[in-house]
Amino acid sequence: MAGASEFLSLDAAIAHLHPATEFVRRGAVQAGLSGDCLGAVDLVLEELFVNVALHAYPPGVTGEVGIAWSVPRPGLLAVEISNTGEAFDPLLQLEPGLSDSLRDRPIGGLGIFLVRRLTSSLTYVRDGSRNRVRFEISASNYD
Amino acid sequence: MEDSESVNIESSRNGVGVVIKVVGRMDAESAPEFEEACKSWVDQGIYQLVIDMGELAYVSSMGLRSFITVGQLAQQKGGNVYLCSMRGLVRQVFEITRLIGLFPVHNSVDSALAPQ
Repeated sequence: MAGASEFLSLDAAIAHLHPATEFVRRGAVQAGLSGDCLGAVDLVLEELFVNVALHAYPPGVTGEVGIAWSVPRPGLLAVEISNTGEAFDPLLQLEPGLSDSLRDRPIGGLGIFLVRRLTSSLTYVRDGSRNRVRFEISASNYD
Repeated sequence: MEDSESVNIESSRNGVGVVIKVVGRMDAESAPEFEEACKSWVDQGIYQLVIDMGELAYVSSMGLRSFITVGQLAQQKGGNVYLCSMRGLVRQVFEITRLIGLFPVHNSVDSALAPQ
């Protein structure tokens, strides 16, 4: 349903990943997304949510993560993940080396790489005290 | 979240190796379970790990980390991790990250187990 939108605030902890996923899926269904496109929404949401849960706040501090979804038009889902941690633009992360042997392949760095590949739009802004990462996923990319 | 959203892992010994069937979703919450299951076999001296991914519907970067970690561990011991029956989004994720070229990949478990 175009024009629909919702907002949810959760503790930024991996234990809350599944409620976050369920929440954004509601938006994906409203947008009419299905199949592998729904899986891509889950994956992008997880990568950005886990990034906040692990890195946005100091160790021992459970901060907040805001999640908002909207449906700009049928077949398009827009999601914003925000937090009040230190200013951090995840889009500045260098792309991981992909041509190494398994022995030399670093175990990290693939999350944001996947986010870039699976989204049709990806932006970061520092808005006052909040980091805001916004992405869009379009059904037309998964036909 | 429903049980269908978690991962189920079943292991069975086969010759010198083990077939590990992974069903469901491998995300930040469930990937450690898979990694520990694989490491427990390596700790027992089983270094040929055949992963049946035919019913694995989802894998995130945390799951990929576990595959890389376990693959490196098995290779250090002279073994390997064999990826079998990948499909859909899981195959797409392995292709995008070019991990598919770093592991032996088979269309079926039987193919992985067949004499070379």
